[in-house]
Parts: sequence; C-alpha cells; structure tokens
Amino acid sequence: MTDQDIVRMTNEVFADTFEVPAEDLLPEKHMFNDLGLDSLDTVDLIVALQKKFGVQLRSDERVKSVRTLADLYKYIGVVMAEMKTRAGGGH
Amino acid sequence: MRRAVITGMGAVCAIGRDIPSILDGLKHGRSGVRRMEQWSSYKGLNCQVGAPAELTGEKLIPRQNRRSMGRMGIFTVQAAEQAVADAALDRALLTTGRAGSIVGSTMGGGEAISEAFEIMVPTKDISDLPPMKFFQCVAHTASLNLAQHFSIRGSVMATSAACSSGLQAIGTAADLIRLGRQDIVLAGGAEELHATVAASFDVLFATSTHFNDDPSRTPRPFDRDRDGLVCGEGSGIVVVEEYEHAMRRGARILAEIAGYATTASGLHVSQSNGESIIECMTGAMAEAGVDPTGIDYISAHATATQQGDQEEVAAIRRLFGDRVPVSGLKGYIGHTLGASGAVELIMSLAMMKNGTIYPTRNLENLASDCEGIYHVREPLERKIRTVLKNCFAFGGISTCLVCRTL
Repeated sequence: MTDQDIVRMTNEVFADTFEVPAEDLLPEKHMFNDLGLDSLDTVDLIVALQKKFGVQLRSDERVKSVRTLADLYKYIGVVMAEMKTRAGGGH
Repeated sequence: MRRAVITGMGAVCAIGRDIPSILDGLKHGRSGVRRMEQWSSYKGLNCQVGAPAELTGEKLIPRQNRRSMGRMGIFTVQAAEQAVADAALDRALLTTGRAGSIVGSTMGGGEAISEAFEIMVPTKDISDLPPMKFFQCVAHTASLNLAQHFSIRGSVMATSAACSSGLQAIGTAADLIRLGRQDIVLAGGAEELHATVAASFDVLFATSTHFNDDPSRTPRPFDRDRDGLVCGEGSGIVVVEEYEHAMRRGARILAEIAGYATTASGLHVSQSNGESIIECMTGAMAEAGVDPTGIDYISAHATATQQGDQEEVAAIRRLFGDRVPVSGLKGYIGHTLGASGAVELIMSLAMMKNGTIYPTRNLENLASDCEGIYHVREPLERKIRTVLKNCFAFGGISTCLVCRTL
C-alpha cells in the first residue's frame, strides 16, 4: 500500500462517513475545528478506519494525539508498516 | 382546567410523505403494501408483504443530528418538521424548557438492533460496533432524536406499549399539558419495517400470508377473507399545545384532545377483549363529556386479525349500534404498529378537516362476525365534529382518544 493509497482511502472514509466535501480534504485540516467532527465522530472514525484498512485501532493510545488529516495519514502509515513487519515482511 | 389542543400535524407512511399526498392516496384508494423480496431469505417467515415508506430527503437533516437516527428517527423528524410548519410554530418556543417530546414505538430501531447483533453475536467482539448504533437502537430513539433536532429541553420520553404506543404518546402529552408541566409537546409514534418485527407477529400466526402474490389485497379489516396484519412503517407527529398558549399566539386549532383513556384487560397477553375495549372507549368518552351519540366517526384499530376485529366490532356494536360511521385505515398503509395510533389519528383529523370519511380498503365481503356496525364502504361526505380513535396492543392494552373541533 502506497502513501497515496492511504490518503485516498482515508479521504474516502471522511467522504462516505462524515459527508465532508472532497475540496475540504486537505492535509492541514483539523478534524474538529475545520471538518466539524466531535468526540462521538472520532469513535465512528476509528471503526470505519478499522474496516477500511483491516487493522485494530481502538486500543492504540497513539490515535488520541491525531488532530489533522496529515497526522492521520502519517499514523495510518505507521500502523500499516507495523502490521507488515509483524506479518513477516509483507508477503 | 388547562386544555390540550392539536395545532399542527405531519406524517410519513407508505402512501405518502405528507398530509396532502396521504389524503390523495386515501381519495384514490391506493395501497402501500408491497412484496418484500428481501424477506424470502428468512426461513419460516410466512408473511412476505409489508408497507414500506419511501426514505428520501434525509440529507436535509444536518449530519450531526442525523448520525444517531435510523429510519424511524428520520421519519419522525420529517413528520415533526411538517407538524411544526403546519402549526406555524416559532422554533424558539421549543427550546424554552416548556416544550417536550414524546414519541412511542414498539421496540426502538429494529434495523439498528438487528445490525448491532449481527456485528456482536457471531464474533463476541464489539471492536467493529459503531458507537452511534446505540442511539439508533434504543426504545426512545425517535423521541431523543426529535428532541435533539429541535433543541427541546423539556420532558423527553417514549411510551412503549406495542401498537398503542403512538396514541399513548399523544394522550400522555395531553396529560402533561393539563397538569401544567408543559405548554407544547411534539407527540406521536414511529416505526420502521424490518423482518424481525414482522417475524414477531408471524410466529404468533397474526400476519397475513395468503396474499403474498397479490399484496394490494391485504390487509382486509372486517372482511370475510381477512387473514392477519401487514406490517408498515412511518411516523405521525402532532403539536399538542395548551389552549390559552395556542390562542395567545393566534394559532389555528385543528382539534381539542377532549378525552383519553388507556386500560388493560388483565386477562390475556395477546388477545383483545371486548369488555376491556368497552371500558376504554367509555372512559375516553366520559373524560370528553360525550356519550356514544356525540361521536361522529370511529377510526377503528382493525388490524384484520380474526379475533381482534371480532372483539372490536362486538365492543363498538354494543356501545354505538350501527349509528356511527366506522372505518379502518390499515388496508392503505399497513399496520404501522407503534406509529399507528398517531398516523391514523392524523389521517382522521385530515378527514375531519376535509369533511370526507374514507372507507375501509379491502372490505369487499363483510364477515358475519363483523356485522351490526356502520361500516364505511364508500367515501362518505360527512361533517365530523368528534372522532374516536381506537388502538389495541399486546399485553391486553386498549387506548382510546376523543378529539373534537372547537
């Protein structure tokens, strides 16, 4: 999975689940202040991302520090890389 | 004593998404009953017909309000928006704490409950359970979503007594107004169509099963060939308001809620009981200060089950003889269960306003056990001043409401 894939798939979650217009999905956008999400939405976001990427995020403390879309793309990239490592080199 | 009046109403159901389209459906004798193709996957579900309402326009509800709504929540808010507009109500009046929300349903959001269990039960894992599911499932999902949508700060509650729920909600709203606890209550019922809901009646052999290939011919209240109920969905919401409050703001009053009663037979968990129905109708009329000669139209519960229709007719026959026009509306919209009392009361008030009583759809051959009352078989031009609405529910529960024009 490339970085572009992560950005595209994450943006799809925001468009499908939170109806955010495509033009607003910019890396510097703050999820709460700019995109209109609230604390309840973040739990929905986690469930939607888990489904989209096939990963478990609910118990990961790092997810709590995510604020902007750029933070989120980066975080998902790290999680996917860790999963690949655990799986033994991405077979 | 404070009086409760209805100043606005709105509804969504299988034959229309607002009052004019529902009245048009009644006028043209339309059926909202369809074959439910997706239900064929359920083994043992003999009833394959339902009366779905069209879900559309939901994106007009802001996402942050809508995220906690299932179908019934959306139908409720859409019906309530119509009611508030019909009442020409300043929305700021709903946020003062003197306004409440009471919406009944049988069990909350059937679709969301089913989805939540499908996620949790097979895996015993809640990781993929969306948090908003809770708000879509709960028994008060329609009421809480309605309250959130209008920023209501008064009493928010949900009556839950199966098919009496919606009418109990309106009766309870009138009680709160009379007691002085509220000045305005958005009240009514909501229901969503789902195989799990139909199944609960199907296992009791209460559903219609002989018209799966000819859906518009069922349900058949009071008919010789009636074979059970057909589940429907939708919502009906009325603005219940304190009389002086309504007068002060120059509101048009559709009707006064003059009498309300809800009783139980204490005899049987599922079967209706004529004596208990008589007690309930009598109680509602007594509160309204009218006797049977003062009722102009009875909107019957009339689900088209063998026993239910028979008991209701026996009760009406005893109290009213064949003097008062009676019709049942489920042949048009199915049995909207927890919403039925509200939706059918609203349809009756619309008929009252129009001066036409619409007939019982699918009543072609009057059953011998349903004789002796004044069945409306054709549209009947008639001035209606007072209407009696009946609702009966599992648990031996009866609920009756008397509304009259002022």
